[in-house]
Amino acid sequence: MGKQVKLRIDGQEVQAPAGMNLIDAAELAGIHIPNLCYLRGMKGIGACRMCLVEVEGLKAPIIACNTKVKQDMAVHTRTERVQEIRRFVVDLILSMHPLDCVTCTKSGVCNLQEYAYEFGLKESSFSRKKFTYPVDEGNPFVKRDPAYCILCGRCVRVCKEQGTNVLDFMGRGIESKVITANDMPLHESGCTFCGSCIDVCPVSALREADREKKGREWEFSRHESVCMLCGCGCDITVSTKGDLIQKINAGSRSPSTEQHFICTYGRFGYEHVDGGKRILSPMVRKGGQLQEVSMKDALEDLAGRLKKAGKNTGFISTASILNEDAMTLQRFSGEVVKTSNIDSTASLYARPEQLEKSQKAKLDKADLIILVGVNPSQWTRVLPALDVAVRRRLSRKGRLITINSQETALDKLAEINLNGDEIQAVQGMIKSVPDHGIKVDQKLLKHVQEASTDKNMQQAAEMFAGSSNPLIISDPAFFDVASNLAWIKGQAMAMPLESNARGVVLMGVKSKDNTFQDMAAVEHGLVQRGRSTVKLLYAVGDVPLSKKPDGVDFLVVQSSSFTGLAREADMVLPAATYLESSGSMVDYLGQLKTVEQAIEPRGESKTHRDIFVQLAKNMGATLKKPTFSEVKKAAGTEVILSVADMSRKEAFQETPESYLQALNAPVLETSRLLWLKESGMT
Amino acid sequence: MPAMNLQDLQSIREANRHRVEFTRNTCLMLCGGTGCRSTGSLEIKEALQKEITTRGIQDSVDVVETGCNGFCARGPILVVQPHDIFYHNLTLQDIPELVQEQLVNNTPLQRLQYKDPVSKQILPRQQDIPFFAHQLPWVLRNRGIIDPESIDQYIARDGYFAAARALLEMTPGDILQQMHKSGLRGRGGAGFPVHLKWKYASEEKSPVKYVVCNADEGDPGAFMDRSILEANPHSVLEGMLIAARTVNAGHGFIYCRTEYPLALERVQTAIDRAREYGLLGSDILGSGFQFDLEIYQGAGAFVCGEETALMRSIEGGRGMPRPRPPFPAQKGLWDRPTVLNNVETLANVPLIILEGGDWYAGVGTEHSKGTKVFALSGDVRNIGLVEVPMGTSLCSIIYDIGGGIPGKRKFKAVQLGGPSGGCVPAEYLDLPVDYEAISRAGAIMGSGGMIVMDQRTCMVDMARFFMDFVQEESCGKCTPCREGTMRILEILDRIRAGDGVIQDLWELEDLSATIRDSSLCGLGQTAPNPVLSTLKYFPKEYEDHIRNKKCPAKKCTALVKFRVNADKCTSCGLCHKNCPSGAVHWKKKQPAEIDPQKCIKCMLCLDNCMFDAID
Ligand SMILES: Cc1cc2nc3c(=O)[nH]c(=O)nc-3n(C[C@H](O)[C@H](O)[C@H](O)COP(=O)(O)O)c2cc1C
Ligand code: SF4
Ligand code: SF4
Ligand code: SF4
Ligand code: SF4
Ligand code: SF4
Ligand code: FES
Ligand code: FES
Repeated sequence: MGKQVKLRIDGQEVQAPAGMNLIDAAELAGIHIPNLCYLRGMKGIGACRMCLVEVEGLKAPIIACNTKVKQDMAVHTRTERVQEIRRFVVDLILSMHPLDCVTCTKSGVCNLQEYAYEFGLKESSFSRKKFTYPVDEGNPFVKRDPAYCILCGRCVRVCKEQGTNVLDFMGRGIESKVITANDMPLHESGCTFCGSCIDVCPVSALREADREKKGREWEFSRHESVCMLCGCGCDITVSTKGDLIQKINAGSRSPSTEQHFICTYGRFGYEHVDGGKRILSPMVRKGGQLQEVSMKDALEDLAGRLKKAGKNTGFISTASILNEDAMTLQRFSGEVVKTSNIDSTASLYARPEQLEKSQKAKLDKADLIILVGVNPSQWTRVLPALDVAVRRRLSRKGRLITINSQETALDKLAEINLNGDEIQAVQGMIKSVPDHGIKVDQKLLKHVQEASTDKNMQQAAEMFAGSSNPLIISDPAFFDVASNLAWIKGQAMAMPLESNARGVVLMGVKSKDNTFQDMAAVEHGLVQRGRSTVKLLYAVGDVPLSKKPDGVDFLVVQSSSFTGLAREADMVLPAATYLESSGSMVDYLGQLKTVEQAIEPRGESKTHRDIFVQLAKNMGATLKKPTFSEVKKAAGTEVILSVADMSRKEAFQETPESYLQALNAPVLETSRLLWLKESGMT
Repeated sequence: MPAMNLQDLQSIREANRHRVEFTRNTCLMLCGGTGCRSTGSLEIKEALQKEITTRGIQDSVDVVETGCNGFCARGPILVVQPHDIFYHNLTLQDIPELVQEQLVNNTPLQRLQYKDPVSKQILPRQQDIPFFAHQLPWVLRNRGIIDPESIDQYIARDGYFAAARALLEMTPGDILQQMHKSGLRGRGGAGFPVHLKWKYASEEKSPVKYVVCNADEGDPGAFMDRSILEANPHSVLEGMLIAARTVNAGHGFIYCRTEYPLALERVQTAIDRAREYGLLGSDILGSGFQFDLEIYQGAGAFVCGEETALMRSIEGGRGMPRPRPPFPAQKGLWDRPTVLNNVETLANVPLIILEGGDWYAGVGTEHSKGTKVFALSGDVRNIGLVEVPMGTSLCSIIYDIGGGIPGKRKFKAVQLGGPSGGCVPAEYLDLPVDYEAISRAGAIMGSGGMIVMDQRTCMVDMARFFMDFVQEESCGKCTPCREGTMRILEILDRIRAGDGVIQDLWELEDLSATIRDSSLCGLGQTAPNPVLSTLKYFPKEYEDHIRNKKCPAKKCTALVKFRVNADKCTSCGLCHKNCPSGAVHWKKKQPAEIDPQKCIKCMLCLDNCMFDAID
């Protein structure tokens, strides 16, 4: 690791890390080696033959996608011989390809078009040959149009590697094609509609079902942002035209290609911003009815109420708001309203210390992943991107241990499943670690003296001892005990269900006095019972509750959609969605990521922070929005682990599945994702 | 049965020696190969047994079903041992008489014996028949001698004694040294030195390694590997065991196509017997070494014979090649070091270990040692399986062993190496069987398919046949092979239809060179060979098709005019009789005439005319 190799590519001296392939190494030097089947992060399969290059001393051209850099290698990427081959390959492909560039929506970003242009191939020199295959458009997400397919195999490979495994090659020779199992339409073949295949298709054979209506690639503005719909916090690239989102693709900012994935929520849920449940203006309850009022009136009214309620005010927020909103909220509540009643939904499933003590890690550096009590799954749509990241990691390097009292989707891929009680399993593992040549501090061992170990635990301990960079991802309920493993080596983190749980807590939105449960009168899970501890309850974001808690005199709901709670509110304030705000967030691995605004806030909606600043003004105080460096400082808090409690913590009564559905209800109900529910696919 | 030791093995050899040396009973060695079975050898076996029992001689006569005798063209074949008396083309009706004459009266039944086509003399003994006399059966050393289902008989022929030596007396280094000395090269096509492959795999540090036997044999016209597996399955098992011992592999696979039911059955029986004898499993012959193997049935795609595709297929994936490196010896099956060899390669191994590498290298040319098995087919008299020393000339194989071209027709070319190979014309008939010499001539040794073609073969048509084959067998993964071969095929079709232009020839060469240089696996890289070699040796034939719109071999129907040449026509009327569409007008003593309106170009007149009078 870390060793650098020097080589020459087209006469230019290039330094590249040992083990890197020639395509990536050339890219470092700004040299593009043409390719159609290569996928960064995966092994080169040598299918398209576009990347053939010549290496001095070798008789035949070799493929750059599967050749590693070597010291003093001299590579030529544009010799007559390889250019001739490339031209030949493009020529062959074009002879069987609809030359529709004039109307094709891939035009402008199409790899085939790019190379045809490079070789000046207006059309193929071979006679046209075409097969007519039916277009698969039985679902509102992904359209398969095999006429355009150039058989690069990228879609087959991403889908396979991420574990959905819906696509494969069929047939031989010229009759080869990509099909689903039994050649059924996607919606009958186990497809999750993640659209990963769309992102990798070099041509127009796989596209968003409504892609045609959305405009040409060069008309779009692109925004690098983050999906805030679940704890994975995936990078997204939002394409807009006018003030409309036209499509969302997986972003590619994260350094690890394992994480270049978004699920169907992240890709297609954006329609909710203009959906039927959107709150476009402030409303106040008058005579039992919510009625529209002006923003000015609403905020003036609310300022007065907040002043009066003071300490009797409580703020509850979701853990999906941005850092900047969270920090402003924290300042507003403490400095302006002067109440210590503040908390977020993260409290429902994690204690603040757990999120604060979660470490930073790089997934693509992990050689062993240990999942404790978490069960990510693309099919139940619980933390799907984590499921994918783990699967990809395993198919590249890396091994897996699952520790879970229940069966998990990833068990089959794990080398070891410890499926008894999680706490005992981890304790047993820790106890066995010293048997495998790793020193463990007595302070820690003392705590596990009583633990019993079995063969599985010992094997897991051995694997842990042998790994150099283990990554422990734990359900918050078991984080304390699991973090002890990371005290020995590696990194541990509590896996949140919401995108910015770590950030929200780091920004100070965490209970100091009354908890979320106290204020929302939540007994267990999301069931509301009993009395709230506050008089004025201020809910920030789409808080997944459905009832105004007993004891609350005045309920403010500041959200973007008409949630169950908003319906019961005394005042509703329209909030911008994450697609309409800019700022930052902290993902589950502890990375601080920026969120770029893609579209203007709809109607009169404003970002949470703007609303708080205005309220503060109305209350006669000045509230400053945090700067990025303030946020960065708060997010970068150094984590020092110590021996942590070995006992079980109160677990969340809600299943992750139902919680995420409740949280995303507005998105699921007011976008094409509704189709999933209507056709029984959720 | 308990696992055995060397002494047990020796006693089995002694106890069964009489069976393979024919010192007790008269043995009727009846060929039970796929060829002879298809002409009725199983029924004949029953009939033989019945006749023998009726005559009450069952105690002194054994009927033994053997693997392919080699002379498949003359099946069903029976050799009476110990006298080596050869009978061929048997029918059920012949059996009572045969048993009576040969076994009761002790007089050979002459009408079923081999008659030399030249001298017309009867050659009663198998070893005197030229087909056999010029061969050197090493890999086929047990053919016609043992019952392939009997492990005892294999042992009686020193079977598993090489393995015993490898396991009990030799270190992996010793084995590698003998393999190195033998000069044995892969018989599956590429001719890679076996000792190197084994050495690389043995140097890999991995707790799990595999040995794989490639028995996919998909090229048209090839049946060497099938015959070896059917006739001598234990020799392949023993070869694998020795390979496993050398590289320290614990598990093996034999990848065999489903289309070879008899081979599959015989190999399975062999595995079962070997397991019973403790020659597979743990602590083999008390050496502490453990090895077991299983059959994997392939679906029969040609490309699955390519090593990386084959391994992918065993792993449960779709048989598609992947780029190398890594090579199988480093990362093969399930990414573990894997030795992958061809059936014939492995069947050579026991002999080398028993007799020594130097002894083995005593036969052959400088860089090609030992023998090579060929499946001789096409326009040759003695179609069959032959094994000759490396260095034997093609001429000797085709004429001395193969008996030359039937009828009065002339030899035109011989296709070596199937679809990946090339053709060799008459001028090169003295070419020796040697990896390098054959490559220089534009063909490849290949796995051993040898298709002889006489003057009636159109070389454009032949090239097209193989191009059509590879185009259909291309796995579709890489662009040049998937689509490029189809484009070559298109041009060949154009030429055959009389629509070719002279630029097509340059295009063919260009396309061929680019496909060869840019394809991912051997299938695409070698696919243009038949085209390139025919272009090289028969350019005029292509030009005839293009410029003169003529197919000299009269194969390309579009170019055949179907006109009667009045000068040659003897008015025999055969064309008239055979024409299915009534297109031939014929009156006695007048040259026939063909009505082009009615002619459907079925070629029947042409095939039936004895005077070559139809253009
Ligand atoms: C398209 C293709 C088909 C092949 N088919 C066979 C086959 O049927 N049997 C075989 O032994 N080798 C076949 N080979 C060669 C194998 O890839 C491999 O080189 C060989 O099995 C190695 O064994 P050897 O070294 O003993 O020859 C084929 C290669 C290609 C490219
Ligand atoms: S996929 Fe690319 S090459 Fe094909 S029509 Fe569209 S833009 Fe043109
Ligand atoms: S949408 Fe996702 S699951 Fe469906 S085929 Fe594409 S990659 Fe596979
Ligand atoms: S659909 Fe697209 S990604 Fe899939 S093989 Fe065809 S061209 Fe490649
Ligand atoms: S996995 Fe979660 S964060 Fe990623 S795209 Fe899907 S909903 Fe958004
Ligand atoms: S050369 Fe042909 S058979 Fe080989 S990988 Fe390419 S397409 Fe498949
Ligand atoms: S990118 Fe290397 S062969 Fe396609
Ligand atoms: S099958 Fe009987 S001789 Fe070949």
